[in-house]
Amino acid sequence: MASTSLPLVVDNLSFRYRDRQGAAIHNLSFTANPGEVLLIAGASGCGKTTLVRCINGLIPRSYKGEMSGKILVFGGEVKDWKLSQISQKIGTVLQDPERQILGTKVVNEVAFGLENLGMPRGEIYSRVDEALNFLKISQLRNRDTFSLSGGEKQKVALAGVLAMRPSIVLLDEPLASLDPASAQDTLDAVRLLADQGLSILMVEHRVEDVLRIKPERVMFMSEGEIRYLGDVSGLSKVVNYREVKLPAEDIIERAKLDPPPAEIKVLPGVTRSLSSDEALVRFENVAFGYESEVEILHGIDLQINRGDVIAVLGPNGAGKTTFVKHAIGLLKPKSGKVFVGGRDTTEASVAEIASMLGYVFQSPSHMLFAPTVREELAFGPTNMKHTKEQIELEVKEALKIVNLSEKENDPPLALSFGQQKRVSIAAILAMRSRILVMDEPTAGQDYQNYMNFMDSILQMPAFEAIIFITHDVDLAAIYANRVLIIADGRLIADGKPQDVLRDFDRLKANRIIPTSLLALNLKRLSTTGRFMRAEALAHI
Amino acid sequence: MLVAWRYRIRENSFIQSFDPRAWVIFYVCCLVSTLSFWDVRFLLPFFVIAMFVLLTSGVKWHEIRRAFLFIVGFVFFFAILTFLTGRGGTEVYKQEHLIREFRASFSLLGWTPVLKITVERAFFAISQLVRVTSIAVMTILIPYSLNPAYYGITFKGLGLPDKFAYAMDLTMRFIPTFGRDFQLTMDAQRARGYELEKISGGLIAQVRKLGPIFVPVTIHAIIGSEDIIDAMDLRAFGVGPRTWLDVLTYQRRDRILIAVGVAILSASIVVGFMGYGKFWVPEALMGMF
Repeated sequence: MASTSLPLVVDNLSFRYRDRQGAAIHNLSFTANPGEVLLIAGASGCGKTTLVRCINGLIPRSYKGEMSGKILVFGGEVKDWKLSQISQKIGTVLQDPERQILGTKVVNEVAFGLENLGMPRGEIYSRVDEALNFLKISQLRNRDTFSLSGGEKQKVALAGVLAMRPSIVLLDEPLASLDPASAQDTLDAVRLLADQGLSILMVEHRVEDVLRIKPERVMFMSEGEIRYLGDVSGLSKVVNYREVKLPAEDIIERAKLDPPPAEIKVLPGVTRSLSSDEALVRFENVAFGYESEVEILHGIDLQINRGDVIAVLGPNGAGKTTFVKHAIGLLKPKSGKVFVGGRDTTEASVAEIASMLGYVFQSPSHMLFAPTVREELAFGPTNMKHTKEQIELEVKEALKIVNLSEKENDPPLALSFGQQKRVSIAAILAMRSRILVMDEPTAGQDYQNYMNFMDSILQMPAFEAIIFITHDVDLAAIYANRVLIIADGRLIADGKPQDVLRDFDRLKANRIIPTSLLALNLKRLSTTGRFMRAEALAHI
Repeated sequence: MLVAWRYRIRENSFIQSFDPRAWVIFYVCCLVSTLSFWDVRFLLPFFVIAMFVLLTSGVKWHEIRRAFLFIVGFVFFFAILTFLTGRGGTEVYKQEHLIREFRASFSLLGWTPVLKITVERAFFAISQLVRVTSIAVMTILIPYSLNPAYYGITFKGLGLPDKFAYAMDLTMRFIPTFGRDFQLTMDAQRARGYELEKISGGLIAQVRKLGPIFVPVTIHAIIGSEDIIDAMDLRAFGVGPRTWLDVLTYQRRDRILIAVGVAILSASIVVGFMGYGKFWVPEALMGMF
């Protein structure tokens, strides 16, 4: 199987982490060709990240365990190489650019690897400029890295890898935290790299997005094994369309053969009222800035009513999180007022507002602390003085919704990222607040899991309104009955999904890219009267 | 991701007109010199230097107000505590001249609280205030004035090996990052009805109740460090001598500043060896009590 001409040959590779039972990957064999994009898809825990770590050398150097099989790079076995040698052949861009960027200035960040190799300064500068030019981000050269947007950070991280002139680039979920337009920019850059002759291995949940750049091959993994490896056209035939998000047309084609999905009864505990007096949350001309001179939110005026399921869309850094943090009183407006349940947030503590409005933070690692998942979930309700019996019931139900009932006694910090995220959602669900606010609930989750928990959350009778921030246009189209677009700290659009999402020019101007599902829904709107998921469209 | 301190280039800033290495050397010289004195007459010049540096730094009051008030409040608190209890100063003076004594009208388990105001305690409090304030002012200005992009090369330029210099760079940036993570965790737990200000119970119970803050912050710091190590490993850090992209060059004024710093330190050491600079109380004042 080994060939000295191929950039990468993986031969019968298996690995088991030292502290875990069962192998994370079993007997994987494949090659990567020059000039190709190989998309690696699969649910959380299927072994994608382990495979990436084996190839880039972090396994077995940083992560210990039992490894067997071979990885050959241009015929050389990487097991015998130093990490510095590997890093010159194989570049890795991690899932979250925030975790990868070390330099304070863009130029220092891109130069970091070259500095470590002890190259002369002139050579470093010329390679840095080359990488920045290639990715069309030369204008960022002297910017502070922490001031970059999510998309810019991802490209800077990629430039840092490219400057080392690798032959193989590994991308581990590079789109997870990006708005659709930034994701598209990153994908275009990746395509360009492959067209220049590099081998690209891209691990990604957002399969539909990656398919736009026409990857040469797709690998589908499940339970540490390769289930499919071949061209794109064969993928939709072998994978479960409920596990991997395929283009809407493909899902419709496949779903026709299955029974129609069950109808979802959104917020069953609410009878819709249009009375303005009953606003759950009211923003009155709210402006905010972290520093006195710079304003981030400008003149936000809106109210959230019973029965609202609101999707908040907008570019990275647009002020979406700042906006929702005002609703729970974590931030107080610089001017204007925010009322929650009729109470001014400047006059109530966050803990008091929490009984009315539950807020799920973006990052689970900032809140998990308890020795077991059960105790973690009981923390909020206990603070809110719920009775013991109530808490037990709330914890059980929340665990069921996020599909973690069997992990009740596990330490939350030992779970995978996706599971931790679900624990963080369940922790807020257990509080039974009247309004639920979620900041990017699906980021880093696999398709099947997030669709399931979104279905369950929307059908919970306890909530009177739900707000979620997302970059996933389909999620907004399927679940929301109201869509907000926030850009540059302003409310650009507020209305029904079918009204807000039909204006493609406005979407594109706000870095939102229409999807195949949205296009299909708009086409069939006169028949359906509302937006539906692809599985439901298949039966109309 | 590591965040940086609120550094920016400031017009006409005295500190920023120097090479960061020269400034660090000068700062260390002043720091060691200040710490070698207890005599308020010797400490006053350092207080003047600190104030001069503060006023010419170009740092706006609103930028440092919180940090400054916190530190000065802290220094005041301890100076007053030492003054009231008389502990702490006993290492530098043996004899006390009583100005006034206040005896409580009650006893606790046979012990009657007594407040003695002595000349030595009063002067010790003044010396302590001047000494610590001088150091605090000089230290507070560092993150606002030194370019974070130069942390690594500054320490490398001061003679530290590559790995240590980069570790210092990361450490300097870890502090504000830790602060940001702490705030995020506080917010996340407050959103779950947790109120730090309402923590009650005994000491151990109170410490236990801080778990929701300290566990995530600590775990986050550990995971963050692992990510940093991975990111460094993947780009060949530590495989050999590294090139530092930025170059710092000493100018004439930098050499002068270093010379002044070294001169101050040398003078302080000599003065110290000659027996000067120890705790001082005016003779006349002692004679009065």
